[in-house]
Amino acid sequence: MWKKSFLVFALVTLIVGAIFAQSITFWTTEVESNRMQRIQALATIFQAQTGIKVNVVPVEENALFTRIIASKAAGTLPDIMEAGIEPFLLLGSEGLMDTQLNAEVINYFGDIYAGVKRLLSAGNGKYYGIPFHAWVQGIWYHKNWFDSKNLGAPTTWYNILEAAKELNDPAKGVYGLVLPKKADAYTEQIFTEIALANGARPFDNKGNVAFNSPQMIEVFRFYKTLGKYSMPGFTTVLDALNGYLSGRAAMIFYSTYIMDDIAVEEVQRKRIHSFDPQLVKNTGFANKMMNIRTTSYGQVVALGILESSKNKSDATKFAEFLMTGNNYIYWLHMAPGGMNPTRRSIATNPKFLDNAVLKRYGAAKIANIIAALDNVERFDFYKGKVVTKMAKLSSNFVIGKAINLMFANNWTPEQTAEWAQKEAERVLKGQ
Amino acid sequence: MIGMRRGTLERKEAIFGWKLIAPTVIIISMLILYPVVYNIYISFFRVSLNPQVPDQFVGLRNYVRLLIDSRFWRSFGITIIFTLLTVFGSIILGLGVALLMNRKFFGRGIVRALILLPYVTPLISLVFAWRFIFLPLNGPLVQFLASLHLMNPGTDVINNPNNAFLVVSVFNIWRNFPFVYLMTLATLQSIPNTLYESAEIDGASRWKQFTSITLPELYFVLASVALLRGIWNFYKFDEVYLLSKFAGTLPIYIYDTAFTGIPRQGVAASAATILFVIMMVLITLYVKKVLKW
Repeated sequence: MWKKSFLVFALVTLIVGAIFAQSITFWTTEVESNRMQRIQALATIFQAQTGIKVNVVPVEENALFTRIIASKAAGTLPDIMEAGIEPFLLLGSEGLMDTQLNAEVINYFGDIYAGVKRLLSAGNGKYYGIPFHAWVQGIWYHKNWFDSKNLGAPTTWYNILEAAKELNDPAKGVYGLVLPKKADAYTEQIFTEIALANGARPFDNKGNVAFNSPQMIEVFRFYKTLGKYSMPGFTTVLDALNGYLSGRAAMIFYSTYIMDDIAVEEVQRKRIHSFDPQLVKNTGFANKMMNIRTTSYGQVVALGILESSKNKSDATKFAEFLMTGNNYIYWLHMAPGGMNPTRRSIATNPKFLDNAVLKRYGAAKIANIIAALDNVERFDFYKGKVVTKMAKLSSNFVIGKAINLMFANNWTPEQTAEWAQKEAERVLKGQ
Repeated sequence: MIGMRRGTLERKEAIFGWKLIAPTVIIISMLILYPVVYNIYISFFRVSLNPQVPDQFVGLRNYVRLLIDSRFWRSFGITIIFTLLTVFGSIILGLGVALLMNRKFFGRGIVRALILLPYVTPLISLVFAWRFIFLPLNGPLVQFLASLHLMNPGTDVINNPNNAFLVVSVFNIWRNFPFVYLMTLATLQSIPNTLYESAEIDGASRWKQFTSITLPELYFVLASVALLRGIWNFYKFDEVYLLSKFAGTLPIYIYDTAFTGIPRQGVAASAATILFVIMMVLITLYVKKVLKW
């Protein structure tokens, strides 16, 4: 008898479930398999709690636009997605994001850092996306080498150049730093920080391209000079990471994603086949830079609900779910140090700090890193306004190409600035 | 009476033939014809990224924009040079290797198999391998050449934007010569030896034998290979894009137009259409004049 009623019950649940089954599609740029497992686990918990199924789709950040275009044609755009600021600004400026709903989620939490949310502002209190997690960039340096030569922390142009000169010793295979010289996004990130420290921006107050401004030419000159003390080749992000860990570079520019590479033995061994247990202690992190003004650089990864979603309320629920309590902390621990909370209450939550990597650095250092998030500056945000034009220059690698060409052709700073000026104008005109 | 019956038979045959090729026709229409037609269709539109904003018909404006864009023509020129260079390069290399491999020597089987590796290995692993051996300071090839004082170990060959075209072309020739080699070797083996013997008796030199027997026998194979490689290399995207952002061939131009910044799908589609038309004309001419079909 009970068997029969169970069968009936199961059947009814199935049918009801099938009728009311709701599902949303979530695109994430965290494509690595261990990260995907965590996200999948969160989606499963979410479904158990709410009955809403989440289809998690991994999308390479570089392939995001290709996928958006194909999905738009096929009518399979996601309901909600996770990606860096740039795609959100581009998609937002084309009206693809539900800026009102994103603002509502931000207001719902109420404790998202002002410094990060302004970077996604669409004006009038609306937002292109919801700041989800963030990293800070700076110079990671062998503090013990600096101490032994009495060098100041590399937080100013002067100190950076002095240290690079002093610690550069190519005969021993040791270089002052690893400076990015390839035409990619990494080069642009590093260049941005250096330029902002000199008050240089690609656009002037009127929105005209300003690569040929005197401040900017000075930045190109400094960059080229630093290049003399850098590891040979058109180096990029992996050269920097390996160069630092293996002790062949005194300084590198890197995001806080480096923290587990420095601290965790198995991660470090994967990179350089050896491990330095003293490296955490001997490493310094300069999270700001100054020449004529002080700046910090970072990247915010955002969640965003799309205007085209047919299931906005469920997408909103999922966004709120991801950024709440243990779910949020579980997500952030995917990349301890790299993924930092954008909510004040989580940053100080003991559960967030309860992590092997974060513990090694200590609560004070972590708090210091997260505090820098409030002062993050970028080329695509100026005087309270988001500069969507910058995202077009970024996706065409204008800055990376300029740097790459400067070193390849031994261009003068003036020539490089002129090239960047023309290229930027061309890219913007073509759009 | 008899004629009629043959007529129905023929008709039946024809219908049967159509039935047999129907699956192929259907698949080709879905996978090739539909995208081609759709591509031509959107080339007349300003395609919107936002599903709520409809595409806007702009007539020939996309085409006009392209034809007056000097970058388009520059990329076009680069693509032609790239195609000619790589097709001739891989044919000369492939032919040379095929001639060598047609001789008997110890271990020929292994060498023949090894030669195919560049062509059969997945592209991405080849690109990484090239990047690795050319790594400044640490790359094995760089270290080897530096130890012979042939190059400065700090030189970055692959990532130098000025080398982009050269690197991409050399890579393409190296990767694709085994294809030419394979096709040529098969034909070389089918040339009857008696031809060479009688030529020798007539006192023909090696070179004369090559130009009068080998080359004419290989003519159609080489011509077909050149056609295929020409088409493939003209549209080559993957390896060019993986190796350098600066190579500047047309497929890269189309990709940049279609997928970077705010995508301009309509313009990219019209570029693809122009290429398509040019290629069709070239192929038709080639098939008529060179392959003499």
